[in-house]
Order: sequence, then C-alpha cells, then structure tokens
Amino acid sequence: MAIINQATKELQVKIVYYGPAMGGKTTNLVQVHDHVPTAAGNKGKLVSLATSSDRTLFFDFLPIEAMTIKGFKTKFQLYTVPGQVIYNTTRQLVLRGVDGIVFVADSQYEKMPENVESFQNLVDNLNSLKMNLADIPYVLQYNKRDLPNAAPVEYLEFLLNHRAVQVPSFPATAHKCEGVFETLNMITRLLLQKYLAQTVLPAA
Amino acid sequence: MATLPQLIEEDVRQLDEVLRGFVAQTDAIAALVIDKGGFLLAHRGDAENLDFTTIGALASGAFMANQAIARLVNEKNFTSICQQGENFSLFVMDVDEHCLLAVIFKSQSGAGVVKYYALGATRQIARQLAVARERNPAAGLDLSAMNVADPQELFRKKIS
Repeated sequence: MAIINQATKELQVKIVYYGPAMGGKTTNLVQVHDHVPTAAGNKGKLVSLATSSDRTLFFDFLPIEAMTIKGFKTKFQLYTVPGQVIYNTTRQLVLRGVDGIVFVADSQYEKMPENVESFQNLVDNLNSLKMNLADIPYVLQYNKRDLPNAAPVEYLEFLLNHRAVQVPSFPATAHKCEGVFETLNMITRLLLQKYLAQTVLPAA
Repeated sequence: MATLPQLIEEDVRQLDEVLRGFVAQTDAIAALVIDKGGFLLAHRGDAENLDFTTIGALASGAFMANQAIARLVNEKNFTSICQQGENFSLFVMDVDEHCLLAVIFKSQSGAGVVKYYALGATRQIARQLAVARERNPAAGLDLSAMNVADPQELFRKKIS
C-alpha cells in the first residue's frame, strides 16, 4: 500500500512488473531508465540483482519521481520479479506492499502456456499475501510484437483479458521502447485515479 | 495487506527524534525506518553521499529474504540481520509487522552497541507507527487538481 507522508508532502507508490521468464520485464525498466528525461521525472539508479547471465535473480529496482501534484511529490518505485518458476518465494517477497502491477506477456505463440501459468501464479501469490487482483490496478503489456511468430493481439486478449472487467492492454516492442511509456503512464493513471477516489475532501 | 497509510508531521517529528538519539548513542553513519515493502519512511544521517531510497529497498529485500529462509528451517525467533564488513556494517532489525530499522555504521564502532540501542529505538518507533496506523487513513490527500484523464503528463519519452 502506498505511503503518504504529509510531513514531507510525498506519495510513494510501488509498481511491480510481473510475467513469464524472458518476457521483457527488465527491458521495460531499462528503457524507462534510459528515456525518462531528467527534467520531467527525476530518476534514480537502476539497480539489478541479476545472475552472471543477466537473468533477474531477486529484483530490478528503479525509483522515479513524477511531477508534483497539488503540493505532493509522487515517487514511483518500479520493481521487476524473476520470471523463472523456481523463484516463486522471491516473487512473493517483491509483491509485498504492491500498489499496481504491469503484467508483461510474451507474444510468441509458443510462450502462451507460460503466460497463462505466470498470470495464475500472480493471482495465487497475491492471495497468499491476502490480496486480491481485482482490488489492485493492473495493466497488460503484450511484448515482442516485432517477432514473426507473435500471436494476434486478439488471441492474447482472449487468454489473459477475458474477464467481466477488462483492463487496459498495450502491444509493445520493449527493446525499441515502443509501448513502454504508454504502459507506464496507464498504470500510473489508474493508481492516481484510485487514490483520488479514496480522497476525502475537506468540507467547504 | 495493510501497511502504513500516511504519516503526519507529528509522526515524522517523533521518528526523527528517535533516530537522532539513536545515531548519537551509537555513532552510526545512518539510520533508516523502512517499510517491509521497500518504502523509506524516515532517515537520519549522511543523505548527500548515500542513496537512502535504494538502500531502503535493498535492506528490506535482504531482511525479507533471510526471514523467508528462517521460516523454511522452522526458526521462529528471527528479528534481525547483521552484515559486518571491514569498514562499514549494516544492521537491520524488525520494528513491527510492517517496518524495519536499518543502520549503517563503521565496523570499528561495534555491532553490540548498535544492537543494544536498536532494541530501545525499535520499541519507540513501533509505538509511534501504531499511532499513525490507527489514524484515519483517508483524510488529507487531495489530488483533485490532477487531470488523471491525461496520463501523458506524468512521464514522457525523451526526444533523442
């Protein structure tokens, strides 16, 4: 849950990029880090706890600061989880205190079982933390759209977004920074809408 | 999962006071109060040379990972971790269900002193956080000036 610090006028929000292994979660953070202009969003260092082969071992972490909203500095903390099945305990640790989720799916046909399994794993891990996906703002990103074996977006929608309430989804080619900022801006928008709805305005 | 919804000036003043006293007693380089989700709540120390935001996220992750290991071996008494280096050391201690105290200190200072005073500091911090938690979480934050229909205002891709 977000931290609101009235004394320092800060709102801290945690966004976790979730999805199957090698789907492009870390690439999203790298692209955000590389392309956020310092003037518009104060970015911190990108910290990667990765194996020697550049696979995420624990998490990647990128703090960025958005514009001030009515006196509040809004700080977003972006995390990724390791996608490999064996790191499930680590994923549960990173999900703790999450405010918003970006599910990064791999568009390749042969990755569909992994996408579905990872999405179910997200639901299960949230439940183990006494959280419910329906209560958390999340968006879907269909990455690797530039590959020849990418499945149609409609098929990904059917597999991952076929629910009573559909969430926003974005096609992306993360390594070219296509769809990365659209996804990030949508999840931040959903998060701020949530906090706006929870706000109790002082009586006039 | 409930964590800390918001802190007001009184909370931050109290936390600052506890950290100020703790740093003076232990001669620590920095002391941080962090949420177990990785958020930085309060800090005291060398903010110019240390990236407290990142240290907070990593210290939280390290503590939680060690706690998960403790659970796997059925160890129920797990309240702190200590990494002793040649020059600098790190000590992280449980404050309550949601928060931690992380301390960076010179190794020559001795971990015993830090652990001893950390016990009292964590109790004081826990008391203040309990007060903050029981306060009305919805009051005070007004984002009404925000045009949430236009998310592009938040993050823009740098034009290269």
